[in-house]
Amino acid sequence: MRAARYLAGRVARAVLTLLTMIAVTFALYFAIETNPPVATFFPSVAKGTPATKQQTELVDHLFYLDRSKVGLYLSYVGHLARGDLGRRTTLDHNRIVDAGSVAPYQQLRVTLSILLGGALLVLLFSLPLGAVSGTRIGSWTDRVISFGALVFVCMHPMTLGLILRSAGGRVDWLPTSGYCTFVKHPAPTVGFFPAGYKPCGGPVDWVTHLILPWLTFALLFLALYTRMIRASVAETVEEDFVRTARAKGASQTRVLARHVLPSAGLRVLTMVGMEIGTAIGVCIYIESAFGMSGLGTAAVAELGGAQLFLELPYMLAIVVLITLIVIVGNLVVDVLYAVLDPRVGVQGGTQRTKSLVGGVF
Amino acid sequence: MAATASSRAASVPANVPVGPWRSGWRRLRRDRGGFVSLVAAAAIVMLALFGSATLSRLVGHDGNTPFLYGASAEHRPVGPWTHVPTPKTPTFDAYGNLLTPPKGTKSTLFVFGADGPLGRDELIRLLDGLRTSLEIGIGAMLVALVIAVPIGAAAGYFGGVVDAVVSQFTETVMAFPLLLFLLFANRYLIGDIRSVGWSWVVPEGAIGEAVLIGTFTAFYPIRLIRAQLFTLRNAEFVEAAHMVGASTWRILRGHLLPHLAPILLVWAGIAIGTNILAEVGLSFLGIGVQVSTPTLGSLLSTVWGTIYNPQTYNGEVYTPWQTIFPMVTIVLTVFCLNRLSEAVRRALEPRAVR
Repeated sequence: MRAARYLAGRVARAVLTLLTMIAVTFALYFAIETNPPVATFFPSVAKGTPATKQQTELVDHLFYLDRSKVGLYLSYVGHLARGDLGRRTTLDHNRIVDAGSVAPYQQLRVTLSILLGGALLVLLFSLPLGAVSGTRIGSWTDRVISFGALVFVCMHPMTLGLILRSAGGRVDWLPTSGYCTFVKHPAPTVGFFPAGYKPCGGPVDWVTHLILPWLTFALLFLALYTRMIRASVAETVEEDFVRTARAKGASQTRVLARHVLPSAGLRVLTMVGMEIGTAIGVCIYIESAFGMSGLGTAAVAELGGAQLFLELPYMLAIVVLITLIVIVGNLVVDVLYAVLDPRVGVQGGTQRTKSLVGGVF
Repeated sequence: MAATASSRAASVPANVPVGPWRSGWRRLRRDRGGFVSLVAAAAIVMLALFGSATLSRLVGHDGNTPFLYGASAEHRPVGPWTHVPTPKTPTFDAYGNLLTPPKGTKSTLFVFGADGPLGRDELIRLLDGLRTSLEIGIGAMLVALVIAVPIGAAAGYFGGVVDAVVSQFTETVMAFPLLLFLLFANRYLIGDIRSVGWSWVVPEGAIGEAVLIGTFTAFYPIRLIRAQLFTLRNAEFVEAAHMVGASTWRILRGHLLPHLAPILLVWAGIAIGTNILAEVGLSFLGIGVQVSTPTLGSLLSTVWGTIYNPQTYNGEVYTPWQTIFPMVTIVLTVFCLNRLSEAVRRALEPRAVR
């Protein structure tokens, strides 16, 4: 019951966060797009003719400046609740026409592929490394692992990615840029293609294209998590229940696997939720280094000023998808936590923190 | 800390009790790795402060002086340890191609090679970049500190609504990629501060970038300070101070803030390192200091291109030294700062996990 109330509170908070992020995006958009670029759409205005009333009205309508902002917000939230991320509009012969859905699902697929695969790799490597290191504090093994971990933390993901990309360029079967879909699409029949052209796609292509991005992601977070798990294991090993298990004759491996790691993992789990945003930030650099167009690069292009003007629906779609990744990830962590730790929801609860080193992404 | 010191003094009467700072310094000196990183960090800071100025005085050119013989006709810069001729009057043939200078022409030594088609001294540029990057790192740390101490102290000491608002806000912001906020703020909020600078000492844009990074990394120290004050505000010595009639301000300043110094010292070291990394990231995003100003990030991004266009300036020119030297400098600097902070943490909190 307590766990259920705890989770309900978390869900309510997540929804509130999403609504706040949408409101912030609206506020930023309307703070910036105060005078729309009429000249971009009408060559005559660009040449110096003053814009007519009709022209300004059209462009105002295109940029959502002539509508009630609250009404616009409510209608957007309504559409979003039905799973509609919005549509792009453009001017064509003095008429506002629909220009298709803005939903960047392809970009979402790229980012999620990097995130999930990378996270799995991090888990595979950092658990054993952290456990070995944490049970032998001060030994040479521990020193080597800690040193290696610290070096990778000191590298920027972009430089790490670029190094791996140059290294990967020397291996024939390892592609160094681009993304391939997991599902194989039929070869295109329209257009000119060189002889022997094979469209890229399918599980094998997907994996080979993602090996280097995953490795970059894993090396950076491996460093953070190995250190976290190490500290957590080192603290847990000292506790009474571990000594009891040892005293009852359980082997070192069994104690580690059954008693130490679950408890240590629980402490690490509280950090994971805060790191999802960091991971998306890292993805921006990884996508760029390996020439993939994902959510991160889309956000940089849209918000960073590469575009002539902001597009409200596209901007909102990117922000909403990134927010969804963050809050869904956090909810998964919360559910896992509620399942694993019976004390959840007790007064005081766990304090969520973020690793300091990850704080810059 | 005080309790252990006094009990030790009681059991060993001849031993004069030492303060936490002094005993911390003793522990730091005994930690070999920590002491080495302290010396290395000090050396790096000295090199950054005086390196480029001294070196350019010695060799007679600075990091922005182009050399005709610093790059080949194909724009390939010369490699490390090359003697580059510096003729008073360069000679050209009829087609405008540069001729090999006569024997005996004065030359200068490029230890780390040249930086690109302009043929500038990479070593001096690297030292310049190190200085600018450290300035940005330290400046951003100070900005974050100035923002974090009052907010964190208010949240931690008063609790209640103030704390709820601050906690909720920081937790929400920290859950998102910082880069989005940085990009947005850089484009629309920073404005005029971007061109503030002071001669070559603080290049244009460095202050703006420090403010940008500092503002958006202040959330971590806010939480740090809040958590520390939360555990301390009900401590006996605070109650005692209340009882003898000390004002809130006096308790905060005289009794609580000194307890923040150790954790903030540890945070500062790591924060400078991460700020340097943030600067590298911002250079790759194409925002931050002017392109011509060397920083550790811009030295790399002029070779590798920005995030919008990750291309080298000339794909056929393979110049690994331009990547290796800045990268090694970044890793060394950040590594030393991280290792040093860890050693300081161990020295000041001896009971923490090693």
